[in-house]
Amino acid sequence: MKNIIRALRTERGWSQASLADELGVSRQSVNAIETGKYDPSLPLAFAIARLFGKSIEEIFDDETEAKLAAE
Amino acid sequence: MTQQTFKSAKRRYHRVFWPLMAIYAVIVIAGSYGLKQLDPEPLWLQATLAVACALPVIATLLVMMRYANETDEYTRMIQLRGLAWGGIMTTSVIFLIGFLQLFHVVDRFEIFWFGPFFFFAYGLSTLILNGGRHC
Repeated sequence: MKNIIRALRTERGWSQASLADELGVSRQSVNAIETGKYDPSLPLAFAIARLFGKSIEEIFDDETEAKLAAE
Repeated sequence: MTQQTFKSAKRRYHRVFWPLMAIYAVIVIAGSYGLKQLDPEPLWLQATLAVACALPVIATLLVMMRYANETDEYTRMIQLRGLAWGGIMTTSVIFLIGFLQLFHVVDRFEIFWFGPFFFFAYGLSTLILNGGRHC
């Protein structure tokens, strides 16, 4: 799933490690989520959204909805 | 979502893993050295040492499982997939060698080596699944 976590993180001058610390996950987890290799669970997605002060929909791009809309 | 999930799980894992490995090494080295000093080797001592060597390894497997349960969701996924691939590869090799023995292609194979093979397969799998990084 595409997302804007990397942009939000760099905007705030945070490293992957510091974001990982804030979320209580590994740096590899943050990297996997940022690159779209791993889709976070709903609780983790909510934690990310809370941390950046945004809604889940603003951070994560729902490709499924876009595909359905195109059909 | 609890804070520091990954770090506290990792700390708890290392706090138990390394002492277990140290105990294992001491028992294996001291046990095999001690047995050589006795002639004949008493069966009860051989059996006790065998169980004592296996116990830290069994405990390590349980600690690995606890780590998988306690760590963050991505690391859990990598760990569980690694354990699954380790199990699949080890079981495959067991079947392969088992059939080779049944059809008299190979004579004898030490069952012990399946244990280290599992740990190797698990380690390799997690490394590959995590893009060459340890987790």
